[in-house]
Amino acid sequence: MRPKEIVVTSGKGGTGKTTLTSALAASLGKVALCDADVDAPDLYILLNPSIKTDYAFWGMDTAQVDPSKCIGCNRCIESCRFNSISMINGKAVVDTHFCEGCATCAYVCPTNAISMVPTRQGTYYESTTDFGPMWHAQLFPGGENSGKLVQILREKAKETASKEGIPYIITDGPPGVACPAISSITGCNFTITVTEPSMSALSDLKRLAQVARRFSVPMGVVINKADLSPNISAKIKEECFKDNIPIIGEIPFSEDIPRAISERKIPLKEMKAEIDNIVKKVFELLG
Amino acid sequence: MSDLTLAVASGKGGTGKSSFASSFGVTKEGVLLVDADVEEPNLALLLNLKPLESSLVSLQIPVIKEELCTRCGKCTDACRFGALNMFGNNIPMVNDLCHGCGLCSLVCPTKAISETEKPIGEIRHYLSRNIELLEGRLMLGMPNPVPIVEAVVDAAMAIEKPKVIDCAPGTSCPMVAGVRKADAVLLVTEPTPFGLADLKLALEAIIPLKKPIGVVVNKSGIASENVEELCRDFNVPVLGHFPFSRHIAASYAEGIPPAKSDPLWQQKISDIWNYFEERVAK
Repeated sequence: MRPKEIVVTSGKGGTGKTTLTSALAASLGKVALCDADVDAPDLYILLNPSIKTDYAFWGMDTAQVDPSKCIGCNRCIESCRFNSISMINGKAVVDTHFCEGCATCAYVCPTNAISMVPTRQGTYYESTTDFGPMWHAQLFPGGENSGKLVQILREKAKETASKEGIPYIITDGPPGVACPAISSITGCNFTITVTEPSMSALSDLKRLAQVARRFSVPMGVVINKADLSPNISAKIKEECFKDNIPIIGEIPFSEDIPRAISERKIPLKEMKAEIDNIVKKVFELLG
Repeated sequence: MSDLTLAVASGKGGTGKSSFASSFGVTKEGVLLVDADVEEPNLALLLNLKPLESSLVSLQIPVIKEELCTRCGKCTDACRFGALNMFGNNIPMVNDLCHGCGLCSLVCPTKAISETEKPIGEIRHYLSRNIELLEGRLMLGMPNPVPIVEAVVDAAMAIEKPKVIDCAPGTSCPMVAGVRKADAVLLVTEPTPFGLADLKLALEAIIPLKKPIGVVVNKSGIASENVEELCRDFNVPVLGHFPFSRHIAASYAEGIPPAKSDPLWQQKISDIWNYFEERVAK
């Protein structure tokens, strides 16, 4: 049987994706895990994975200038649309953070001083946890935030789950609505979107819901810290009802949850009833 | 002395970047706010501002003239993003993976490729109740936020005012693009294990940019990770602790910046601004 993949997303950061992911894993007992927030991965903090193997992650090739061949003609700078090249002491210098790897500079360079070289952008890991295998990664700081890396992690988690006969994959997604978020939800079976009762979180939820709809990803919403603003929680429910998005859980604010996280413990018992309810609803919606 | 441009960033999302940015907006008169969290821009919503005007941010994408195209395949071979595909004897088709680099039009031997603008986002200008804001906003479904971040920061840099740039969360290029042109960076963290882990990544990304950096600990009291120790290791000052308060959180959830609901916040925000002004002036 093919494993089903549930991706925890949010739009707005800091609503509780990682906390919910860890609690779902602990509640289900045996799952495959994937931390797709490669920019700021935190799932390891609660799941304490033992790394089995690490792999180098190579992003797009980026431009490299051979200073001995560079004649300082500026053509590369004029052709680069990503402002990633500057002239320092008469030689072109590429800021690899901003090089998108298009190779236009290499094409226009009259002295062939620019070549495209494989660039390592980070590391990814196959690990084991108390609840099953886990795939996670760490990009180099300030690097290209890569949808490609997210795809690798999700494929690997799927392979591992299939091989080991694990029925569910829980993926901790990134915040936002652009490349990493899109890469983490396309083709998954369900996304649980964690929100909180603030105007910003609601606005971000609505943006993410549109993206999920565009990529035909079914979504259910969990309102975290729901009692902090009953007014806005009611508004979130109203908006979700209008858009035909099911509310699959509400978790009240409790100081016990951050306290458990501070002790590097998964706060499952602090929200057991709510998590059981969320799991039940997700299973119903997954069919 | 020229006006200060301060970037507010965090690493972890939800630590309170916009609480701080909006608080600068209501504390420092004449400051221009810049919302560079273009995937999820929220300052206008928080401050209840209505847009005055907006302009589109576009990529230059290829348009291929059928009668000039010889189907030689040079453009599809040159494209490193897989954005041009040729099926059968049809001219190449452009897909959403196009980054707008312009290489295809350079390599085309028959000059069959020209360019057209494809909107991927917009910049909105807001001005009301003594608050001015420039906001970058990525169109939904578009993969790359960086051109919008750069466009909104460039538009802001052309305005001679003190500025506060509210950056994207994370530690990769959308955040770095927001910080890159600022004079100084305020990093907002929270004393949780997640906050601390992501603060470390954010510091590693920002320190190479060689700008004055300061850290504030928001929601202090909810947990007790040792932010001071980490900051000491990186030689970066902690500029203040902002205790978690249900009252502030609830007011903020309804759209009131903390500096408006709490006079102590206002004082500290003012002190932080003065601190950066002095440090940048040196």
